[in-house]
Amino acid sequence: MRTHNRKRAFIAIALIGLMMLSTLWAAGTQEQTKQEGPIEVTFWSLFTGGDGEFFDAMVDEFNRTHTDIVAKTDTVKFDNYYTKLTTALSANNAPDVVVVHQSNLLGYVPRGVFLPLDDLLAKNNAPMDDFVAAPLEAVKYDGKTYALPLDVHALIMYYNIDLFAEAGITKVPQTYAEVIAAAQAVQAKTGAMGLAVDNTTATYKAYTLTRLFMSMIEQQGTSFLNADNSKANFNNAAGEKALKALVDMVQLHKTTPAGLDYDGAVNAFRLGKAAIHFNGVWATGSFEKQADLNFKTAGLPPMLGKPAAWSGSHTLAIPAQRTEDPAKLDAALTFILWMTEHGDMWAKAGHIPTRLSVYEKESFTSLPHRKDYAEAAAFAFAPPATPAWEEVYSTTSDMLEYAVANNQNVKTALQAMETRINNIIASY
Amino acid sequence: MAIPGNKDTRDGIIFALPFLLVYLVFMVFPLGFGLFISFFNWDILSSGAFAGWANYRRLFQDELFFSSLWHTVEFVLITTPVLMVLGFSMALLVTGNSPLRKVSENVFFIPYILSMTVVGTLWAWLMQRDYGLLNQIVRQLGGEPVGWLTNPKQAMWSVGIATYWWTAGFNMILFSAGIKQISKEIYESSQIDGANYFQTLFRITIPLVKPTAALCLILQVIASFNVFGQVYVMTGGGPHGRTRVLTQYIYEAGFRYFKMGYSAAMAYILFLIILVISVIQYAALGKERS
Repeated sequence: MRTHNRKRAFIAIALIGLMMLSTLWAAGTQEQTKQEGPIEVTFWSLFTGGDGEFFDAMVDEFNRTHTDIVAKTDTVKFDNYYTKLTTALSANNAPDVVVVHQSNLLGYVPRGVFLPLDDLLAKNNAPMDDFVAAPLEAVKYDGKTYALPLDVHALIMYYNIDLFAEAGITKVPQTYAEVIAAAQAVQAKTGAMGLAVDNTTATYKAYTLTRLFMSMIEQQGTSFLNADNSKANFNNAAGEKALKALVDMVQLHKTTPAGLDYDGAVNAFRLGKAAIHFNGVWATGSFEKQADLNFKTAGLPPMLGKPAAWSGSHTLAIPAQRTEDPAKLDAALTFILWMTEHGDMWAKAGHIPTRLSVYEKESFTSLPHRKDYAEAAAFAFAPPATPAWEEVYSTTSDMLEYAVANNQNVKTALQAMETRINNIIASY
Repeated sequence: MAIPGNKDTRDGIIFALPFLLVYLVFMVFPLGFGLFISFFNWDILSSGAFAGWANYRRLFQDELFFSSLWHTVEFVLITTPVLMVLGFSMALLVTGNSPLRKVSENVFFIPYILSMTVVGTLWAWLMQRDYGLLNQIVRQLGGEPVGWLTNPKQAMWSVGIATYWWTAGFNMILFSAGIKQISKEIYESSQIDGANYFQTLFRITIPLVKPTAALCLILQVIASFNVFGQVYVMTGGGPHGRTRVLTQYIYEAGFRYFKMGYSAAMAYILFLIILVISVIQYAALGKERS
């Protein structure tokens, strides 16, 4: 009886073992055949919704025109993207190419998880002078290039032509006083909202406040953090002027309603119920789809001095792998360069291309609106290159939101912000 | 006596092994590892540096930690009593003789099977200040639009309302199981004695459902202390951090700011708080029962 049992157990174990072996063998052969076909480049992107369609179309076009390389995607929901990316990077399990925001990229770079691309770029004779300087500069850390910028998405101004006409405004407002005057004129004559700028977090954080605050500081010729990004640099006259401008929009001039969240601001403009709207270029696509909305775009007005606008950038980076396969790296770079070179397709989503050659393409110049704000790329600045940026950005947004909602004294507000931001930077 | 040739312990272990392995790898190990990394400065991607008690010391000077902890406590206070009463009332309805009881059982429980993201997104849109359905109704009735999620005074309550809708059904299931366990004979004899509905409710149902209520209370407090999803999806912790709860701060510190050690230290403090409260509750309620 006992021996019989043992025998049966042995057979069972042997069978299981055999099954496992055969799957392993099958997987092995699959790997073999793969090497002979086109090189597979896997990538992750975070684009869903409106952006996603255009990105997928670009990938399809790439695969259609390349027989030697196959790009394979796995779109991750934006909410979880960086969590997933971080775990994959720490497990050395990341795909060949990933999309990363410029502001997040620099949080990863000091940890050595992305490949410095300089050697690879030189080896492949990448046309580096075809890139717009500012976004390319923004992906460098300690003099090395860690990604290539796919686009620039700057903060721009949207304005409703019909409401402007109704209020008798003929000139696009440039200074802060002109912007406020235009907004007030529209409010008085049409009853629509003057300035749709989100100032309260609901589903989305009220980042527009921070983006405007940073832009207004840059417009006065200084910057949000000091030169080596080690300290706050806004508790001064420039910072006070910028914060006062934001608080006054809501509290003094009443051109922006208090408690306005991102969805509220975007929809007010989309439905033609707001005259001026500050937002990133990504909103263009959805405004275009709206029937009866007559709007124009312009670079962010130089409200407090010279032109300057906050901008983000989607970049394409190559995660460092345990073993580098030169053929695969070349394929990955080919894919990245092709994507940037076809920025005209990506511009349909509203984004500004990063390759100078794209600006001359007929397929780009024939797109409405884009060329009106494409010049914004020239005075767009990137967020400071510090690993502490995510925490600084989110804390600043909370504190600006508080100051605006409570009509806080600007000196008190900036003093508190300075202390908090310096503590945060020191903790990294 | 055991059946000859049948080794209960060995078989028991073998049968439990698949689960036990998963449990060890995905529950016990992370618990221990979390405690371990709370003594390090670690960013997940590179190797950590030993920090001793620094993470715990920093935590007591971090105003964001305290405000987040307070928001969590606030959420517990807002949700726990209401969810207990709501769950119990629903259970009374579905265990009673009402013709609607089958329908209402489904209506009450269905929200609970929806995922948190779905519930959060749904309520965030209902409560959107300018275009949400709730404010459309308020406007129709001639009222001023309410900043459900954007007014710092109301935001936490709004998240609470979504939570009531979402999870009250679970408490209902617990309570109705408790009510169904009460012997029918007790009700029958009280009826013979001429007890009315409220006498039956307060003298029989409520006293006899107490053990279930104790269990429900402990589970509810733990669940409320761990709140994350609803807040994260509906308010993003806003307005200006007014609804940022501790689990959200733990998540942000770990996965957005890469401060894994600090994040783990906060998680362990939250764990201790929940542990102490649960033990006190258990002891207090247990004493009452004996």
